[in-house]
Amino acid sequence: MHPIPIVLDGDPGHDDAMAWLLAKSRSMLEILAVTTVAGNQTIEKTTYNALRICTLLGISAPVGKGAARPLAGVRMNAPSVHGESGLDGPTLPEPDREASPLSACELMAKVLRESPRPVTIVPTGPLTNVATLLLSHPELKEKIARISLMGGGIARGNWTPAAEFNILVDPEAAKIVFSSGVPITMAGLDVTEQALILPEDVEKIRRIENPVANIVWQWLDFFYGFHKKLGYAGAPMHDPCAVAWLIAPEIFEAKELYVEIETQGRYCRGMTAADLRGGAAPNVTALLGLDREKFVELLREAVEAYG
Amino acid sequence: MAKTRVWIDCDVGADDAAMLLVAHKLEAMEIVGISAVAGNVPLAATYPNARKICHLMQAEYPVYAGAARPLVRKQITAAHIHGSDGLSGVELPLPGREKLETLPAWDAMYQAALTHDNLELIATGPLTNVAIALAKYPALIQKLRRILIMGGAVVGGNRTSCAEFNIYADPEAAESVFRSGVPMVMCGLDVTQKAYLTKAELESIAALGSAQAKTFAAVLQPPLERVLQDGWPGVPVHDLCPALYAVYPALFTARQAGVFVETEGSVALGKTVADLDSDKKFADRHVTVALGIDRKGFVETVGKAMGKYRT
Repeated sequence: MHPIPIVLDGDPGHDDAMAWLLAKSRSMLEILAVTTVAGNQTIEKTTYNALRICTLLGISAPVGKGAARPLAGVRMNAPSVHGESGLDGPTLPEPDREASPLSACELMAKVLRESPRPVTIVPTGPLTNVATLLLSHPELKEKIARISLMGGGIARGNWTPAAEFNILVDPEAAKIVFSSGVPITMAGLDVTEQALILPEDVEKIRRIENPVANIVWQWLDFFYGFHKKLGYAGAPMHDPCAVAWLIAPEIFEAKELYVEIETQGRYCRGMTAADLRGGAAPNVTALLGLDREKFVELLREAVEAYG
Repeated sequence: MAKTRVWIDCDVGADDAAMLLVAHKLEAMEIVGISAVAGNVPLAATYPNARKICHLMQAEYPVYAGAARPLVRKQITAAHIHGSDGLSGVELPLPGREKLETLPAWDAMYQAALTHDNLELIATGPLTNVAIALAKYPALIQKLRRILIMGGAVVGGNRTSCAEFNIYADPEAAESVFRSGVPMVMCGLDVTQKAYLTKAELESIAALGSAQAKTFAAVLQPPLERVLQDGWPGVPVHDLCPALYAVYPALFTARQAGVFVETEGSVALGKTVADLDSDKKFADRHVTVALGIDRKGFVETVGKAMGKYRT
């Protein structure tokens, strides 16, 4: 069986790094490119982090630097969650390469054009790059098999009561993506807040003896620090859900829904508005639940693969 | 034990009618006045409907007319659910005009709050009358013990994907009430869609035999048939929830939240935005959001109240 060709598009970020680790660990996924976007931190920081993560994990695909700002909204970062570097915690190896001369959008267009099979895009940050690709290369839409993204929440938000961070940062981009007609899998807060990695899981990873494990447990420890103060029992592994669904869809509970993006409003800008009444033709496979233990096992196996 | 004194503002309406019929027989509750607002059907129907139900109950509650239209928006109705007359086509006699009240709803509401300490306001229609009362009489904010509403939804909607009818019909009025600072109990679709009566349960209420019990069942019959076709287990009697919550809070599960109303959205217009699970909380969290109901207890309470009618 051919591996599924994918592009990883994110704003690393601790949970982006975990998502990429998971993607790298499975031979059924073939990483064609990595692209970066401003979100958790500025584009300079997320790109530097992406290069360091790829160096650490041995991801050899080119890294394309993406959008520095949202299509129409104001810039927004999340230093309270990921620290000033966007990936605070352990010391990482310096990058073994530079970013591609191609921008994120150009790099995505190139790999889509050259791939013999339709490519799955896995966005784990704001959707600015993906929207830019759809706007500037309508002819490549058919080369996108699916967009499996982390973003939104049907029953709730996090950064505001109604909106999740990735969608809130660039609602206009999200609207373009969600109305594009490309099949979408949405790993929103409904599922990702259940995807907790508990302190005892982190302890098991800490005991794995390899250089990647030594970094990963410290990432998780740092990431949990922020969430612990909010009363979480563990660190929510938002972004890995978008990858895990590609590997093991059977561990998720999903529903086909029609989801629109609210770009206006006093309170609801950035909300993923799902029509639970039925009737409207679905545009999204919304992930709503998961087998947490099996999910954590995927992450642990990914770390174990490094030695 | 002192009774809970309430004012009921409603847009009668099939489930408003059912609510009034039950509320009248709740031992722990004392109704001091009723006002009507445009909503499910226009005021020209909701006001006489409220008077008809009082007449049917042989109750002497004063009934006042309020707003005929939303604060700023174009009027919408839900005649497709409640029938164009608001009472599912059930014909009831209208009492004579000799006792007709002349005060507008907001003035009467305020007078009642001055007369009765700790008055509670139950609102089961769009919040237009309540918003006007709070705007005209700021002192009312301190006078009311709380406002219990049927309206909104933490998740989903019925009129739109994001909005429930009462809030969507007048979002500015609703936002004004949520912003007033009066403690609120919100019974939205999250709980009211669980407060349903099955076909058999409605039949057993009709079988109680009184004119009131038969009317209760008759007004809910067409909406019941409609939802059964859609695969629901029974007809939700939305408006009963805030009335029951006022005196039997133990029937419900609820959480404290900040809730505000989206008045500017494109998709989310009329959404009640609650901060229950988000990391970000509103500064003001004075709303008790009902989320669950002991349905067995609900059915028993309704049956017991309706069993008290003897005509």
